[in-house]
Amino acid sequence: MLLANKEGIVVTGPVVNLIAAGVANAVVVFTIPVLVGQLVGVKSVKILKVHLFNNAAGNTSVLIGTGVGGAFVALLPAIVSMNGLEDIYDNLPEVESFVNITAYPVALVAAGIISLQLEVAIIG
Amino acid sequence: MPDLYIFKTQVGMFDPVALQNHNVCIHYVQKSYYRKVDFLEAIPPFQCINLGALPALTPSGRANIVNLEMADNEFGLWRWYPIDDAQIRLYHPAGIAKYQLRNLQIPVDMNILFRDPNLVSTEIAVWENNRPAVEAVNGHAFGLGGVRLISLGYRFHTANLESGAEADPELVKALKAGKEPCTHVWCSGRGIGD
Repeated sequence: MLLANKEGIVVTGPVVNLIAAGVANAVVVFTIPVLVGQLVGVKSVKILKVHLFNNAAGNTSVLIGTGVGGAFVALLPAIVSMNGLEDIYDNLPEVESFVNITAYPVALVAAGIISLQLEVAIIG
Repeated sequence: MPDLYIFKTQVGMFDPVALQNHNVCIHYVQKSYYRKVDFLEAIPPFQCINLGALPALTPSGRANIVNLEMADNEFGLWRWYPIDDAQIRLYHPAGIAKYQLRNLQIPVDMNILFRDPNLVSTEIAVWENNRPAVEAVNGHAFGLGGVRLISLGYRFHTANLESGAEADPELVKALKAGKEPCTHVWCSGRGIGD
C-alpha cells in the first residue's frame, strides 16, 4: 500500500437510523467537512469500517454510495444485514468519495430500523 | 561557509537553504539577484492546489499554483507530493518544464513517498509571484474525484543588496567574485539549450 494511502485522520460518523427502504430514501450517513473560506484544502473520505445494527428490520442488504434516487451511485457492493443482528464490516476496499456518503436498505420489515455508523479516514 | 546548500536533507528533515543574515543569490531564468535573508519561517504541509476531478485516461490543463506565490522581496523553498493517484508534471514558471531531461520530462506521483521519502528531488524555490504550474495525467480507467498536492517548506524575506536602503556594492562585488559565502537559489527551471 502506498504511504500516501495511509494519510488521513480516522473519524467516525454519527449513528444514522435507516427507517425507509429504497434508493429514493437514501440518507446522508457521513458529511464531507466543508468550511468555506476557512478550511484549507479539499477533503475526501475513505470508508474503513461499517457498523450495522438490524433492529427487527428483516434479512436485507444495505447500499452505501453517494447521492439519492436516480443520482445514487454505489461505492461498495451491497452488504448484508441480518435480522436482529449486529454486523461489522472492515477490511473493505478503501473506496474514496469527495462528496457526502449516503445509504439505504433494499427492504425493511414494517417498523424495523437499521442503524448504521461509518468509520472513515479523511484525506486532504 | 555555512553548512547549508540547496537540496540538503537528513532523515526526516528538511533544512532551510539559508539562515538569518546569510547572503543568497536568487536565480530566476537568466536573471540573478543578490540579497540577504532577514527573516525566515517554516511553512507546515498544506494543500496548495486541487486540480479538480479528472476523467479516466485524461491529462488535465496546466494550472498555476498561485498558493505558492510569495510576497515582494520574498522567496519560498518548497517540497511537494500528490495525494491522489495521478502523474504530475511541474512547470516553473508556467512556460518552462521542470525536471526536464533531453528526451523526457519527469513526472511525480504518489510513489515519491516510497522512492524519496524526504522529497528532496521535488525541491523548488519560488521568487516573489513567479509561481510554478502543474499538469496532471490520470492513467486509470476510472475518473479521479480530485488531484491534490501537498507542499511544505520555508518562507524567506530578503533585503536587496544591489539597490535601496540595504545596498552594499562592496559585498555584492565580493559575492560575485566568490570571496564571501553565498547560497545560490534557483527559482525557475531552464529551457533545454537555453
